[in-house]
Amino acid sequence: MNPQVQGLDQLDGTYVFDLRISNKALKLNRFFWNMIGADWRARFLDDEEETMTAADLREEEKMLVRARDWLGLVQYGANFFVIEKFARVVKKTNLEVYAIMRGESFEDFLRTRRVPDAR
Amino acid sequence: MAKIIGGIGTSHVPTIGVAYDKGRQSDPAWAPLFDGYKPVAAWLAEKRPDVLVFFYNDHCTTFFFDMYPTFALGVGERFPIADEGAGLRALPAIRGDVKLQAHIAESLVNDEFDIAIFQDKPIDHGCAAPLPLLWPHEPDWPGVVVPIAINVLQYPLPTARRCYRLGQAVRRAIESYPEDLSVVVVGTGGLSHQVHGERTGFNNTEWDMRFLDLIQHDPEALMSMTHGEYVRLGGAESVEQIMWLAMRGALPEAINKLHQNYYLATTTAMTVVLYDVDVEAAAPAPPRPAEIARGKQS
Repeated sequence: MNPQVQGLDQLDGTYVFDLRISNKALKLNRFFWNMIGADWRARFLDDEEETMTAADLREEEKMLVRARDWLGLVQYGANFFVIEKFARVVKKTNLEVYAIMRGESFEDFLRTRRVPDAR
Repeated sequence: MAKIIGGIGTSHVPTIGVAYDKGRQSDPAWAPLFDGYKPVAAWLAEKRPDVLVFFYNDHCTTFFFDMYPTFALGVGERFPIADEGAGLRALPAIRGDVKLQAHIAESLVNDEFDIAIFQDKPIDHGCAAPLPLLWPHEPDWPGVVVPIAINVLQYPLPTARRCYRLGQAVRRAIESYPEDLSVVVVGTGGLSHQVHGERTGFNNTEWDMRFLDLIQHDPEALMSMTHGEYVRLGGAESVEQIMWLAMRGALPEAINKLHQNYYLATTTAMTVVLYDVDVEAAAPAPPRPAEIARGKQS
């Protein structure tokens, strides 16, 4: 156990991205990371299943991607900073993804914010 | 000899870049953010530093987890601004200075700071979001950037204290550079925010204010904190505030706060702070650990 993150496994709604998780989810995270390339984005938009197979994703990972299960992806081990690249490609804003991860409607989430227009 | 004349702490929220590109500078929801950077930009325009040293983090753009450096220094005359999934921004490539960057790399490694080097790579919003709020970019940036990336994504992260020591080593590197360059150090990230999991949207303004007080007056207290404590107090991604400690480590003990702006609009407490130093009065950088071990004073 890394003493720097001791106890964080008890902190609700927070998932420490360490090397064990990173190793398990490496192909899934690479699949999302590749969204920084225009060619890969076009290929994904053209044939989602083909790109997931080319990325050698497990069936469990493919299901999370198909479902756009943002919280499930985080819980599985996808890193938010590559998830947000994927969100750009499927036309979701970060604020929309945040609301989904909190289990709230977009409107309800914005009501919890100080300046909801800052987007 | 090159010298450090000041420091800046700044958020690097990607939405700042989006709002900037859409021209929302005077939009009522965004003006408190953009107006808060104006005194910093004015100070930079007056002082005309040649160099901004940026302690920032890559967001798994330049680097992927198959090779993720704990500390990495960019060497190059130009660094394009990265496509992060939404296409390219209309900004000129960031300027560099190979001679200076190579000197800093040599000084750091000889100082037992074995930093990785990257070349010919794009740089993401960790540096590019705040940069146009600090420096004008038409027709080109007025100076060069020394990009120093710190891993704050994939645990184990460097400790807060290690980041401070990196800043001290960078100060020794700069002060041993023979050219008369004027340098400002920038620490990016924070303040309180969390952007993953059900705890997304967590903020803690009381802690943010305490952090801003401690970073100026008692950085030792911040160096002693674990990553877990940062995560609990400020939200998971606020742990990136350890990069402010790298900036602080590159400054002398006494610094003056010239300006501070804090704007928590949606999910991140967007903050910018400007410090200057009395260059003449400041004590020299503390010596290298290797020289202490040899009983040598420098």
